Amino acid sequence: MSANIIKVVFLGLTNALGIWAATGLYVTSNWVLLIVLVAGLVLLDIALLKKNAYPLRYLLPGLLAFGLMTFYPIVYNIAIAFSNFSTGHILSKEQVIHHFENVYYQPEGADRFSSQAFRDGDRWLLILRSQTNGNLFLGLDGELIPLDPNDARLLYENGDIIAFNAMTPLAVRDLVANLDVLRSLTFSEGENTVRLASLREYRAEKRRYAYDPGTEKLLNLETQITYVPIQGTFTSADGEMLDPGYRVNVGWENFQRIFQNRQIIGPFWRVFGWTIIFAFFSVTLTFALGLGLAIMLNNPYLKLRTIYRTLLIIPYAIPGFISLLIWAGLFNTNFGLINQFFDFWFQFKIPWFQDGLWAKVAVLFVNLWLGYPYMMIVCLGALQSIPSELYEAAHVDGAKSFQRFWGITIPLLLSSISPLLVGSFALNFNNFNVIFLLTQGGPPVAGAQTPAGATDILISYTYNLAFAMGRGQEFGLAAAISIIIFLIIGTISALQFRMTKKLEDIGENL
Amino acid sequence: MLKRLVVVMFMLTFLAVQGVQPHAQNNTLLIWADTNRIQVLEGLTEQFTAKFGVDVVLQEKDFGAIRDDMIVANPAGEGPDIAIGAHDWTGQLVANGVIEPLAFLQNDRSLYDPVALEAWSIGADIYALPYATEAIALIRNTDLIPDEPATFEDLLTVAKDLTDKEAGTFGILINAFAPDPFHSFPFISTFGGYIFGKNEDGSLNACDIGLGSEGAIEGATFLRSLIDDGFVPAATGYGDMTGQFNAGKVGAIITGPWAIADARNAGINFAVSKIPTIKGNTPGPFVGSQGFMINSFSNNKELAVTFLQEFLGITSTQVALFNVGDRAPALLSALAEVSDDPTLAAFAASAADGSPMPNIPEMSSVWGAWGDALSLVSSGESDPATAFTDAAARIRDTLGCN
Repeated sequence: MSANIIKVVFLGLTNALGIWAATGLYVTSNWVLLIVLVAGLVLLDIALLKKNAYPLRYLLPGLLAFGLMTFYPIVYNIAIAFSNFSTGHILSKEQVIHHFENVYYQPEGADRFSSQAFRDGDRWLLILRSQTNGNLFLGLDGELIPLDPNDARLLYENGDIIAFNAMTPLAVRDLVANLDVLRSLTFSEGENTVRLASLREYRAEKRRYAYDPGTEKLLNLETQITYVPIQGTFTSADGEMLDPGYRVNVGWENFQRIFQNRQIIGPFWRVFGWTIIFAFFSVTLTFALGLGLAIMLNNPYLKLRTIYRTLLIIPYAIPGFISLLIWAGLFNTNFGLINQFFDFWFQFKIPWFQDGLWAKVAVLFVNLWLGYPYMMIVCLGALQSIPSELYEAAHVDGAKSFQRFWGITIPLLLSSISPLLVGSFALNFNNFNVIFLLTQGGPPVAGAQTPAGATDILISYTYNLAFAMGRGQEFGLAAAISIIIFLIIGTISALQFRMTKKLEDIGENL
Repeated sequence: MLKRLVVVMFMLTFLAVQGVQPHAQNNTLLIWADTNRIQVLEGLTEQFTAKFGVDVVLQEKDFGAIRDDMIVANPAGEGPDIAIGAHDWTGQLVANGVIEPLAFLQNDRSLYDPVALEAWSIGADIYALPYATEAIALIRNTDLIPDEPATFEDLLTVAKDLTDKEAGTFGILINAFAPDPFHSFPFISTFGGYIFGKNEDGSLNACDIGLGSEGAIEGATFLRSLIDDGFVPAATGYGDMTGQFNAGKVGAIITGPWAIADARNAGINFAVSKIPTIKGNTPGPFVGSQGFMINSFSNNKELAVTFLQEFLGITSTQVALFNVGDRAPALLSALAEVSDDPTLAAFAASAADGSPMPNIPEMSSVWGAWGDALSLVSSGESDPATAFTDAAARIRDTLGCN
């Protein structure tokens, strides 16, 4: 009975929340997220209400998380890759047209006025005093009627108008309350329109652009130049481009740009090569160190094992961001601790982040420091799963410890750990944090026409391309490159899984 | 049971849907400011609310995050009506159409520092009400260098005696090779180098890159000579420069007003002066300006303009902002009021020789290439001429200029 109550309340709340969010998404035209949300809600209702959908209940939280956190971002990323989303193309077409239709300029001789508002029943009228020549005008029914300062209807006190035709001007608070009305009061002054500029000011202005929805052309009324939308930017016949542009689908253009632009594709092989080396050595070195430490810690005769284990886990426990910044300080060429050590004992300082080779060494060393605890923990667990009878049998057969290690430990270990190694390779292939926080891509390469440094990996190179080139914030280009990186690392990982499948045969018959 | 379930769910849904209301933010102003500036704004917003009956919400934001957040939030209707910012954001924000030109400033031009107005201008439009200007200048430790050096050569003569690698003291430290292009600009501009050339109408020509010019290369050569002559260790970073200065181990550094608070707290006796002339030329640093911008998607533009005109463009506010920020006020009347402060006077004099940092979005392409050129010069891998010519070619390539 209580289970039913809980179910009803939970479903009620979740559906209500979901519908409220869905209406919000509908209003802001966020279609993809809306579909994902509605699908999730429907699945949830089916899972909890249908009797034979019982197994779905266990899959549902995972499916929902997958939908929102993995599937939706990937789809959104792919959508951006085919668009021109970047600086100058952030807005939608409607927003851009609305922007241009509301651009006003002050022509030569345009006047500005301080205003006082009067309310005569349902009618509003303004008294406007020109700031250029002090003339008074009565603003009524869209017309500016010149007003004589000595007009009998005006009442002055200390030079300020305090009444007109026995009406007092509106106080500021009333002006604020009636802002919409004030905005609607416009007057013509020759060819210009006099509009509300701030609470007590009006200004003569002219609209700069006229948009024709039929031909989609924008006309600059001041210069008579026509602009046509080309790929999201209003461009004139001379090639003059207006800001802002809007976001539009550009098809394969981002991908074409990647492969055809010498600047982007030039350093690709060098950066790709270093990325592979970096990922490979990161995995190998961390695995070797982690395994070595795990074997040592597994020794039952070692005293204070738990204390050693706790101390050795510390690099894993400290947040990477903080430790990376501290390491960057330790490697400081002139004042860092490491160079002070070298200077004291060996009389020289290593140019850590100024020389390409040393920067690579530093990056690998720090990644080793960050990564070995994970491998150590994993190996500690996996070593337990190797039956000790195998070791005893080998010992009886006269195998030395070296042979025992390579013949028993490694094969059985690899068969269980290989998926983790593949995963670690993929992770280090895209290890943006280490590269960015330590070297920002590293010392530049002399004579390079590109923003790719000596320690740049593909993903940090992408970051430079997307945010430090062109006009900044080239999201479309970054999304396209990240899809290519995904295909690369996906292929590599698939191949690696294929290769490690062979290892699993070794462990199968035990 | 099912019927009860359906009824309950409908009721809850109905209640939830009531919560969906359009964002009617009429008569509330939202302002984004950073921690320091919020203190000054709090008193002003209370006065504004008392006078106009409009609620003002102050939201504290990390200064560095405001630009990118505005690009996302403003078109979505979630942006602030007023936000503080730095002038070099102008290009990108205007390219994305998220800030409004301030027409009223056209008539108030004479009240403000013209360099500040130029910094916030794109074409003829001014995009913010400036409240501060800043530029780097020479900050010297008066215990080590008591007299103001007349020329840079004089400074180097004094510095030579102070530089002692063993004791870890330096006569002068510059972080230009960190790489920090911003701090290297005075040396480039002093010999006639520039970043973007100007068109006839005064706007910046993004395809005229001055980093490859004779002046820039001469400036880079001069910087390199500081390393070669043993004054400045290569790869001195900003933290190294200020850290060593605050420890009393450096005679002089070149940086901006943001650094003097730490020096004051460290108890260093310092004096600020213009960067001395180099080979007879006056160095002109980059001038930065901070100001208040208005969101072009705001529903309350008129109220925002009123707030700017009546509460931010006045002497008392600009002086109050100076007191929390140590930067020269942009309003000329406020600047006159605080100009008896010698530190401020020196920074202002330095700014008077300088030029505004370019505010067009194409500047994003420049920093990386310029920084790389400085790195290559400092490590000795390239000579200044090659490094800077390559950098200029790279920038032109990126911007599609050829």
